[in-house]
Amino acid sequence: MFILSVLVFVFARIAPGDPLQSFYGDAVESMTTEELDAARARLGLDAPIYVQYIKWLVNACRGDFGLSLKYKQPVLAVVSPLIGNTLLLGGIAYILVFALAVLLAIACALHEDSLLDKFLCKLGTVLYYTPAFWLGVVLVLIFAVNLHVLPSSGAYDVGKQNDVINRLRHMVLPLFVMIASHLWYYAYMIRNKLLDEIRRDYVVLAKAKGLSKRRILYKHCLRNVAPTIVSIMAISIPHVLSGTYIAESVFSYPGIGNLSVESAKYHDYNLLMLLVLITGTLVVLSSIIAQFINEAIDPRMKELEVQQCEQ
Amino acid sequence: MEPLLKLDHYSVSFQTSMGEVQAVRDVNLTLNKGEVLAVVGESGCGKTVMCQSIMKLLPKTARIKSGTVSVNGTDITNYKEKKMRNLRGPVLSMVFQDPMTTLNPTIPVGKQIEEAILRHEKVSREEARKRAIEMMDLVGITQPEYRYSLQPHYFSGGMRQRCVLAIALATSPELLFADEPTTALDVTVQAKILDLLLEIRDKTNIGILFISHDLGVVARIADRVAVMYAGKIVEIGTAEEIFYHPCHPYTWGLLSAHPALAADGGKLHSIQGMPPVMLNPPPGDAFAERNPYAMKIDYEKEPPMFQVSDTHWAATWLLDERAPKVEPPISLKRVE
Repeated sequence: MFILSVLVFVFARIAPGDPLQSFYGDAVESMTTEELDAARARLGLDAPIYVQYIKWLVNACRGDFGLSLKYKQPVLAVVSPLIGNTLLLGGIAYILVFALAVLLAIACALHEDSLLDKFLCKLGTVLYYTPAFWLGVVLVLIFAVNLHVLPSSGAYDVGKQNDVINRLRHMVLPLFVMIASHLWYYAYMIRNKLLDEIRRDYVVLAKAKGLSKRRILYKHCLRNVAPTIVSIMAISIPHVLSGTYIAESVFSYPGIGNLSVESAKYHDYNLLMLLVLITGTLVVLSSIIAQFINEAIDPRMKELEVQQCEQ
Repeated sequence: MEPLLKLDHYSVSFQTSMGEVQAVRDVNLTLNKGEVLAVVGESGCGKTVMCQSIMKLLPKTARIKSGTVSVNGTDITNYKEKKMRNLRGPVLSMVFQDPMTTLNPTIPVGKQIEEAILRHEKVSREEARKRAIEMMDLVGITQPEYRYSLQPHYFSGGMRQRCVLAIALATSPELLFADEPTTALDVTVQAKILDLLLEIRDKTNIGILFISHDLGVVARIADRVAVMYAGKIVEIGTAEEIFYHPCHPYTWGLLSAHPALAADGGKLHSIQGMPPVMLNPPPGDAFAERNPYAMKIDYEKEPPMFQVSDTHWAATWLLDERAPKVEPPISLKRVE
């Protein structure tokens, strides 16, 4: 976490561009050199990088993440209303991706090597490798520009913040893009797990009992694959989150993903730092959760780890 | 009386990318109620494929090429999956070779027994549970109430095989395929499982088709024995006939390769060579290449089944009246 913050801090400042541009806007052009230097000094941008970093770190530990250069507000105030939007979009996408992935995987495993299975696999591969941003633009073109059925951007129309249907309508396209680009990766993974499971000996015994293939799949195989699915779900949180960021920036959805792209563009250092920290925390937390879940499900994993440490 | 199981010119082939593999070729056999028929032969000779194809448990690449299979006089050769599901359990049942992998590791064994009962009988959950516990008791699992809710990894190999047996018998089948049920177990446990099978046979008059490559096990359990080689039955007869008056050179080879059955002292006999690949079987007798008594005709024409007695048949040209008289190898003399 600490290393991450150092890296981002240094890279953001090394990158070409002038943060004053975002602070003063076009007014920068007409400012004199003295005025610019004074402004830099006021904003603390004239000190060497390590001094800037230590200052930032000390303040951050006190809970003060500084001012946003672009919005001229404390960065926390800028970020906090948008986190909800991101979590909503990401959460719904996450749930839908896995619900659909499991359903698709079951459908494919039941009809292994049938036309349906082959068709779904091909379609999934094409969708998975379609770049999300391209797909997003095409969808906007079709549904928003030409057909006028869905909004092209934003999270809600002005003044309709609490209108559920309005918000959902704004989420349809971003969700579609996210699901299209993530679903198949996981559906394919679960499908293969199920097919491995279907080839186990106990399935033959279950069949010899007179159970149907469908019933064996639901009652026996799915149950044995469930732990794997749960751990895949935990590991995949960062993956889906990164998808949210892409979808947000394509559809200008006001969430922290969109915001972080903007902040990087405008050299809004303090904002960028906070967003990176939030994202980093989420990634680290989900990895830890995944590890815990895995250990709870399969105690052998913990033993394996201990063995490796001992060696 | 109709035999419980009747195979008539039964052949099973696998379609592979290399071509057709003939796993079971032209098998004729019958099994009656209350009878234990053992099928012996080397690994890969088609024993398991034969049983699994009768229950239609094989993957789609396997298909019955010719012949028929009847159960209780009903031809089930062309039964579809749905009809087969109703047979599996109440009529046909199976015990598998490796008890370590045939039970679902995450489901308590009692539940796995119960599941079979609930599938085929209209009984309440409590009733099924009671029956499952009775079954566990019947197959010799002590403290069945307690062990009902344990997952398979709490059980030893022998106990697991008892559980598999309990599942197979829970729906009171008429015919049990026992596919090397004792191969993965150690010798004392083996003996107990065999005794249990015989005890159940006496109690329920179930017909058992017992697959094994271990002649010692077969001698202990079988009423009749069929010797299988390269997908064909080469000799079939009562246990006594097969063990004391074997007629087929392959049976001679098998018997003299068994330490307990071969003569004392000297080197243990082994059959030279490998079984043929069944992709494109050679013409003539599949065993000819490994047969020290092979004659010219063995390479040209497949021998028919020669009748030795009312119950004893063998497929070898040695039994043809024109063949020279050949004595079984001396190493087998002791048992006669």
